[in-house]
Amino acid sequence: MSAAAIALLFAASSAANAQLYLPIGQLTGEIDPDMAATDIASAANATANGLAPDPWENLNRRFFGVHVFLDDNLLVPASRGYRVAVPKIGRRGLRKFLANARAPGIFINDILQGEFKRGGETAARFVINSVFGAGGFADPAAKLGIPQHSEDFGQTLAVWGVPSGPYTMFPVFGPGTVRSNFGNLGQIAMNPLIYVRTPSANIARNARAGMSALSAREPLIEPLEQIRGNSLDYYASFRSFYLQARKREIANGRTSFDDLPDITDFEDFDEFDEIGEEE
Amino acid sequence: MVQNTLFSRRGVILSAGACALAPIAAYADQPAETFISGVLTEANAFIGGNEQARLDGIARLVDKYVDMRRISRFALGQYARQITDAQRAEYEPLFRRYAKLVYQQALTTYSGQPLEVTGSIDRSARDIIVRSKVIAAAGSEFANLEVLWRVYRARDGAMSVIDAGANGIWLAIEQQSQFKSIIANNGGGTTGIDALIREIKAQLDR
Repeated sequence: MSAAAIALLFAASSAANAQLYLPIGQLTGEIDPDMAATDIASAANATANGLAPDPWENLNRRFFGVHVFLDDNLLVPASRGYRVAVPKIGRRGLRKFLANARAPGIFINDILQGEFKRGGETAARFVINSVFGAGGFADPAAKLGIPQHSEDFGQTLAVWGVPSGPYTMFPVFGPGTVRSNFGNLGQIAMNPLIYVRTPSANIARNARAGMSALSAREPLIEPLEQIRGNSLDYYASFRSFYLQARKREIANGRTSFDDLPDITDFEDFDEFDEIGEEE
Repeated sequence: MVQNTLFSRRGVILSAGACALAPIAAYADQPAETFISGVLTEANAFIGGNEQARLDGIARLVDKYVDMRRISRFALGQYARQITDAQRAEYEPLFRRYAKLVYQQALTTYSGQPLEVTGSIDRSARDIIVRSKVIAAAGSEFANLEVLWRVYRARDGAMSVIDAGANGIWLAIEQQSQFKSIIANNGGGTTGIDALIREIKAQLDR
């Protein structure tokens, strides 16, 4: 097995999670599309590995179809246009700017989770990138060894011990769990701009939402096409990507291998192999 | 429903108990690291080459190091106990072709970055996670990407790769999610397995 292929697959899968997040995350600009993703499930199947169940699979599949239709016919064409209109360096700068704008929300959730060191990193990144990074279009903080990370209120609820609830899929809003959906509502409430209803604030809010969607979707055009092309069941594949990555995101990357499902428990399989070899 | 045991009260209690009983919960496994280092050395030799070399190389490594039969059975989930001998004879070669195709297609757009082993954790004496890291320049989309390898040690000591993951996502788990879903949505049991076999065939024929 090629490590290179695996690396690509997982880079692509990470991207898939971001797309799944497009919904609320990008409508508000509060959820980091690059770092997005985390819970788990599989209908009658998915409680293994700590992943959320999918008891509403039939409805979720219908909503997923609508979500993909809108993605194919609206967001992807718009993202291709954005790619043509804005050079790569500009797109990268905008992505960093939008990420920097999410820092206050990330900081609040760092603190709510008791992650004071990460909160300090978030605050330091915001100040450094805002002052020395042209308002966030550059990321000098990363070069100083302060990497970006993501938090949202859904993750905070998870850290507080709130159960994930079932997996959900809504058109436009994308995949989630009951917990993450409530978290998204909380995340929106943390955005000060949401309470300002002047014409200029409305323009700023809508512009941020639109640019966040395009900025997140554009780099994922090819990876998502590939994942879709390779999938036997695109819905199930996406659900697994989302839930696995979301789980890691909640754990802040502190990977635990304790709850991996057993692949090694087919002792009879060894015997089968041995019998087969004898034959 | 299992929820984030990392943070649940029960999880904390169990973790504390485990620590008290076993001060060192997991160990590095040097032989497994050496095994994966060997695989990566072989992979690194061709991933920077042309597309055909990468396609051939990955197929060769899959044949040589990946326990495809074990993964194919895991991918069936609970239905692995229901598959008939005739279905298994048809399913396993199809799975091998399908899995290879997934990896090969992924390679076509991959520019190629080498990896190096950074450590390991043993879940048990026969189930080891080996960590590796992409050697990429700062700023690369693959910089700091950690790729994990799940290694199975057979009773005779022979090692094989049974899963690989990155960014928290494991390939075999993702495949199992798809396969179980297809089987369940097509009547379950042997009927559902027949449907899965048809789906894999259709995918390979595209």
